Amino acid sequence: MRIFVAGIRKLLRRPATFVTLGLLVGLLGLILIAVSATAGQRTGRAAQESLLLVTFPGAYSLILSFILGLGGLFAVIYGAAIAGSEWTWGTLKAAVARGESRSGYQLLSFAAIVVMVGVGLVLALAAGVVVAIIGANIAGVSTAGLNDTETLGKMPELMARAWLAIVEEGALGFAIATLARSQLAGIGAGIGVYFGEQFASIFLPDIVKYLPFNAATAVVATSGTGGPGGGAIARLEPNVALLVVVAWLMGALLVTAIFTERAEISG
Amino acid sequence: MTNDGLALATRGLQKRFGTRPALAGLDLSVPSGVVYGFLGPNGAGKTTTMRLLTGLIHPDAGTIEVLGRSFGRADRHRLFEVGALIESPSFYPYLSGRDNLRALAATGAPTGPGRIEELLELVGLRERGKDKVQTYSLGMKQRLGIAAALLSDPRLLLLDEPANGLDPAGIVAMRETLRHLAAQGKTVFVSSHVLGEVQQLADVIGIIAAGRLVREGPIDQLLLGEGAVRIRVELAEVDAARTALVPLVGDAMVEAIAGDDGWLAVHIAATRASEVNRALAQAGIYASALEAGNDLESLFLELTRGEAGASHEGTFFGLAGSNDAPPPRSGAADASTGGPS
Repeated sequence: MRIFVAGIRKLLRRPATFVTLGLLVGLLGLILIAVSATAGQRTGRAAQESLLLVTFPGAYSLILSFILGLGGLFAVIYGAAIAGSEWTWGTLKAAVARGESRSGYQLLSFAAIVVMVGVGLVLALAAGVVVAIIGANIAGVSTAGLNDTETLGKMPELMARAWLAIVEEGALGFAIATLARSQLAGIGAGIGVYFGEQFASIFLPDIVKYLPFNAATAVVATSGTGGPGGGAIARLEPNVALLVVVAWLMGALLVTAIFTERAEISG
Repeated sequence: MTNDGLALATRGLQKRFGTRPALAGLDLSVPSGVVYGFLGPNGAGKTTTMRLLTGLIHPDAGTIEVLGRSFGRADRHRLFEVGALIESPSFYPYLSGRDNLRALAATGAPTGPGRIEELLELVGLRERGKDKVQTYSLGMKQRLGIAAALLSDPRLLLLDEPANGLDPAGIVAMRETLRHLAAQGKTVFVSSHVLGEVQQLADVIGIIAAGRLVREGPIDQLLLGEGAVRIRVELAEVDAARTALVPLVGDAMVEAIAGDDGWLAVHIAATRASEVNRALAQAGIYASALEAGNDLESLFLELTRGEAGASHEGTFFGLAGSNDAPPPRSGAADASTGGPS
């Protein structure tokens, strides 16, 4: 528990936490405002589709889907940065030399990331909704659907699913950086895996839906294209995707724990 | 394995990295309540030993005993009574010194209330405790590293090059702190390249070369037992001086030290330096300098000479431990004014 609380404290002071959240919210806001501001220049179906992003209640799930898609890349980078820095800065070494459990330290450090991802998700969604309201006003779209009880009733479940999906993506970054034993190599490899999965969709369209980032995107059922691969890849059914995501999450944490236990720590 | 009275013991410790042996059967015996100086040339296996002693890596063969109890993969709790500073200090650069100690205190053995402030005061970082570590100098990071090693008030302290980056006042303060800890019954195991520092600090030393312990014992005994008296005479008088000294110690015990500067080494107990001086004077030869006893540097070079080629990093420009090394100067005294020191 001490390590978990210390982990939260460390992440709260860590610049990467705020940079990651800031980038996500900034990009989300930029796209929503840009879509709203240029909607008037389009006509017909194109205008209607672009305005879906700022039309409530559908905007809720579209914003969440967008966060899930872009957040996946940020999550893998964030997870890799946190795990990799423990090796690069030698702080894991210091903890182990004090008699701390290797896998316990790593898993409790990741538990702190899980909390931060949850907080970040809520903040990003809140910021996205605020920007979408502003965008709706710019585009002259009604915000009457903002209080749609049916949609709002589903949001906790959708949020929980999205949280789990982003946590899985963060766990992948965490595991990759642990294997790489380096912050920079971990981030680089994490980004490589993320884009490699998208690239694989060209050759392995039937398999790629089971891969971690695509499965994570499919966990929240939306009609949007915010996730990696967009709508070109066949998606898993949300509940199946949830199981696949849990399997990837467990696998990533298992790899992290086993590798850390067996690693020869130097540097 | 039980080694009563030892804070730390290793028996037949072996470790390889690939095909390269780092330790080839290391037998260390570190008594409790002393400052133990762990010396060796680059690549001799010092840091590998430190990593093994803190469970960062695991031995291929051999045993480790920490504070009287066996230490293996499943015995990480033994380290609750050990404080360590291995290689460079490890901190989160974006956190303050104080917050780094708090983060570290969340691991391993519990840390008493007020301990962090006490340690920041001890290492002279109380005023800078709120500043981020990335703004610290090398010496300040080193001091914080020493504070981190002391967090859980350990019975055994393992320090790798603790004087690294410290200013002279910091070195003196560190030495006093470590001596104070030893006086309290704690054991301090210090790996260092700074031989003069170890000579001032350690009660017992161990010298490692090519992964093996080549000498271990109380520093005073080692320096006296391995003693030599070094004299410097006019170049033209070297042969005459040698002839004058042979009756005192025998032919094989007088040798010229490398270089054409008139230094001779007489292998005789340091306490008999005056006899050497007298024998020379009786032969009408007056030494321009005389050094009595062995210093740690010459002992170190003597013991690790020949092992350097077997060590993993070689020697600096091929000079260390060679016969071309200049004679030691520590303890030198002008024979005409001060006599043997």
